[in-house]
Amino acid sequence: MSAAPNIAQGSGREAAPAVLEVRGYSLAYETPAGLFHALKDINLAVRHGRTLGLVGESGSGKTSLAWAILRYLAGNAREGAGQLLISGEDLRTKTPAQIRDIRGRRIGMVFQDPSTSLNPTLTLGQQLAEVLVRHRGLSEKEARDQGEALLARTGISRPADMMGRYPHQASGGEKQRVVIATAFACNPECIIFDEPTTALDVITARQIQDLFVKLQDETGVAALYISHDLALVSRIAHDLAVIHRGTIVEQGPAQQVFSAPRDDYSRRLIAAVPRPTHRLVHNVPAATGEPLLRLDKATIRYGESTLVERLLGRRQSEVVGARDVTLTARKGEILGIVGESGSGKSTIARAIAGLNAFDGTVKLGDRSFGSREALDRAYRRRVQIIFQNPDGSLNPRQRIRTILSRPLKLYGLVPEGGLDARVAELLEQVLLPKDFALRYPHQLSGGEKQRVAIARAFASEPDVVLCDEVTSSLDVSVQAAIARLLVDLQARTGSTCLFITHDINLVRQLAHRILVMYRGECVDVFDVDQCDAPDRHPYTRSLLDAVPAPAGG
Amino acid sequence: MRDLLRHPTGLAGAILLAVVLLAALFGSFLAPHDPQLFHPATRLQGPSASFWLGTDQFGRDLFSRILNGARTTVAFGVSATLLGVGFGAMIGITAGVVGGWIDSLIMRLVDGLLAVPDLLFTLLIVTVLGGGAGHALLAVAVAFTPGMARISRSAVLSVRTREFVQAAVARGESRAYIIGAEVLPNALGPLIVEATIRVSFAIMLGATLGFLGLGAQPPSTEWGLMIAEARQYMFRNPWCVAAPGAAIAIAALGFNLFGDALRDLIDPRGRR
Amino acid sequence: MNAGYLARRLLSVLVVLWIVSATVFGITQILPGNAAVMILGEYATPDQLKALELQLGLDRPWWAQYLSWIQGILSGDWGISMRLSVPVSALIAEAFWRSLALAAAALVAVTLIAIPMGVVAAMKRGTWGDLVISLFAYLGTCVPEFVTATILLVFLAAPERQFFPAGGYTPPGESLPGFLYHMVLPALTLCLILTAHIARQVRSEMSDVLASDYIRAARLKGLSEFTVIRRHALRNAMAPAVAVISLDIGYLLGGIIVVEEVFAWPGLGRLMIYALQNRDLPVIQATTLVLAGVYALSNLISDIVIAALDPRVRYA
Repeated sequence: MSAAPNIAQGSGREAAPAVLEVRGYSLAYETPAGLFHALKDINLAVRHGRTLGLVGESGSGKTSLAWAILRYLAGNAREGAGQLLISGEDLRTKTPAQIRDIRGRRIGMVFQDPSTSLNPTLTLGQQLAEVLVRHRGLSEKEARDQGEALLARTGISRPADMMGRYPHQASGGEKQRVVIATAFACNPECIIFDEPTTALDVITARQIQDLFVKLQDETGVAALYISHDLALVSRIAHDLAVIHRGTIVEQGPAQQVFSAPRDDYSRRLIAAVPRPTHRLVHNVPAATGEPLLRLDKATIRYGESTLVERLLGRRQSEVVGARDVTLTARKGEILGIVGESGSGKSTIARAIAGLNAFDGTVKLGDRSFGSREALDRAYRRRVQIIFQNPDGSLNPRQRIRTILSRPLKLYGLVPEGGLDARVAELLEQVLLPKDFALRYPHQLSGGEKQRVAIARAFASEPDVVLCDEVTSSLDVSVQAAIARLLVDLQARTGSTCLFITHDINLVRQLAHRILVMYRGECVDVFDVDQCDAPDRHPYTRSLLDAVPAPAGG
Repeated sequence: MRDLLRHPTGLAGAILLAVVLLAALFGSFLAPHDPQLFHPATRLQGPSASFWLGTDQFGRDLFSRILNGARTTVAFGVSATLLGVGFGAMIGITAGVVGGWIDSLIMRLVDGLLAVPDLLFTLLIVTVLGGGAGHALLAVAVAFTPGMARISRSAVLSVRTREFVQAAVARGESRAYIIGAEVLPNALGPLIVEATIRVSFAIMLGATLGFLGLGAQPPSTEWGLMIAEARQYMFRNPWCVAAPGAAIAIAALGFNLFGDALRDLIDPRGRR
Repeated sequence: MNAGYLARRLLSVLVVLWIVSATVFGITQILPGNAAVMILGEYATPDQLKALELQLGLDRPWWAQYLSWIQGILSGDWGISMRLSVPVSALIAEAFWRSLALAAAALVAVTLIAIPMGVVAAMKRGTWGDLVISLFAYLGTCVPEFVTATILLVFLAAPERQFFPAGGYTPPGESLPGFLYHMVLPALTLCLILTAHIARQVRSEMSDVLASDYIRAARLKGLSEFTVIRRHALRNAMAPAVAVISLDIGYLLGGIIVVEEVFAWPGLGRLMIYALQNRDLPVIQATTLVLAGVYALSNLISDIVIAALDPRVRYA
């Protein structure tokens, strides 16, 4: 698999005048703790036919800039000096009525999550047509016909049908196409994309990205593409700006910034991008002997049928989460499990952790279990799970000390007097200061909380650790650190790890083998160096193709 | 607590609540007159230097009577709520923890009982038990039970799906530990909020029962009863209905505002 | 909306009514002091009690009593009032329409006032207008009906300036203006309390909607604020508002009992208080069942309205 080339189309002339330009712009928010400077002296320009990628972590100010450009500021926002220019006209001098004429007609916007940015009580067609009625003065009928044409252009196969549907009747990808069609509807000069694919599944996201590149090229719209995903932006944008704590730390042609960053922060950010070629694990588990963990023909059903349904003999609310899944993991192995949301990858982890009832058998070493009820405390000590969301996985009313000493007490691993010493040791293992023992979870950052959750899982000296999307709610730079920590601990303790994620590049960095789930079934299992082998399942193929390995590095 | 006082609603609630609690605790010592003493010469008077809020149909000092009634009223509201919350929480937590058909059955019953308006339910129970302050208290508590059961069940269920509880289950913790140490401490917040707000409903229900003659009996200084007794004379001296009316409103408002502020603090969604 | 959804909701209303009937029956028959004691008082002689129990069929097992009671209810035979010696169904029928008129008047007025109030408060969040509406709403929720009623009487029906009658009832057939004139104060009392509560709920629903992503998206399409509110916000805020109103019918039914008593309006509430005070068992059972039935039915209607407003429910 070769590194991904930049797929941004056309070049636009460098000399073309800037469509969107931000000059020396600053913005602060009034908070009870004083002024918070969200944006400091921002300078940006997006030219006709070009895409500028604006990359930053959460809280960097990237979304604040989008709101400022669209003149949609919170009541406590205080603007400093600077200009926001659209084709040379300063947006800050416009009246509210003029701004309303500009929004949707001259500047369009595509939002992160199409399931919340579309009104649930209006049809998709109504929401698309209303901008045409508003800005182009079309009649309802004309707007509907025009809307269908616009939808067809975004690759929706039956536009007339889609126009009549409500948001909950369309898939995430279809909804985002409608949002994109709406943004392009009035041929705006500039469109702001705010993380338009973050809420979507890998393959859908890739389709939307391709659609973006195609439409941007066809229309020559100046695009400001906001994202946290450096690898993605470096692929689809012409230019790249990295924003950190309200300041643009580096700006330039995308390829150049990505392959040869000059600023410290952007260098760190780019280093944190998972690259399949940079393997984090170097050992290879012994390929001989019996596997340590074995799941045999496991089927997991969700949802209890209600009393009435049972009386009527129906079980309609039951959903099969995973069907006939068989997997094995050897001692010391990291098995990556990938798939889109709802594919059943978490379901399997939850079944092995004893959280979901299952049919089939789980084997751990020489012991075999035929149901969830059979999983005893000895088994549970040996199998630990770490969850995605560190905010949810620590009891907010317990101190870190209580949280970490609980497994030690429960399994009787440490005598009463040695608890504090062992807790300190556990904290040290995950690179946290030992006085964190006295803190409550809300006093910790997301990454720190996740380290505590990891420490808790390793406290019982488990043989199997199930990592369920443990990095996906964290910022890019934190993600990399957590992944490295996990791999370290795993290698040091020789435990087996099931690493569940939707991040294809990350899993290629750290797994020994990869298992692919699709609609509740296991469709493919292969060694990590066999990614490009010709006998890959077609779904695996499209999954891998959707997320090309980042270029450079 | 400091956050609570910075919250405008919380501050207003805390002040009202402080006034009401002060009256409830020390009202009988602070009262300038004996609340039951007749002053036949000064019946149905407006406020004056010696009778701050005027006098009732027997010439009794309204201010002293209201101060005296505070304890009865607050005690009624708080104990009826505590009882109701206790019963309700027991039922709701059991349903939420046990789940399955027992849960379905309990919640169906609760839904059925919720279809009877609070006051109607209370009246029915009072009728069966017979009037009087004690029975009224029990009736309000029973009427609160289904609502509290529903709320505690949903509080338990919402905590149960949180990942730290899942982690405890995966660890193989005992059921008692999971419920006692993980679920309950985190489900308590919404219950306390709901209970605080319900004290104000209990106070109003108690007063309504007193007014209808089904709660406290004369010569009690219960505020609802005071209004009922003075009703014939209200056109001659509006103070004898207005003063206890305002007292009920202040007590109910104090608990209600305080509860709302608590809810805002616990639920970050409200902190926009 | 499909027929299945409707059928399921209808079924659950029936289940609720059945539970209510069992509860009412249970409270009035099984609990201490059975019907005979309730009628004769606690000083009756055992012989008197025995005789009455036989007459009422209380010697039969409880389930047989329940079955025959239910059978009677379903066939329209609601028993004879023990005090008034009139068929209960006739009493209820008469009182029901009077209460309905009062409740409907209050509800219509409330809907017309409270919803715009809540919407305006949400749109003008943090301004003086919002504060006044919120304060009014708090007061409304914290003043019991009988206090509001009494205060209204003092202000609007005092002998020296009698704007409205202090109580009583004129049949509409006799004098429609008289009927309406008598209705003003009781309806106003109910109105004040419900307006406060509903306005507050609508305000919070509307605030949530206004803070949502799709409202932001609509504004960023360049739509005018009027269009954003009318087309995008109202419809979404209305479904929960309808749910709140239907729950508030519970309040209304409780409030109507007190208000009818204070203003001597001869509706279901007054009938019920009379029955409670006189331990008139069949009347107690019937009024409770009717009030609970109305409440359950109003919840069903609100579910249908919500389904009509919200496609997610409609197509569920």
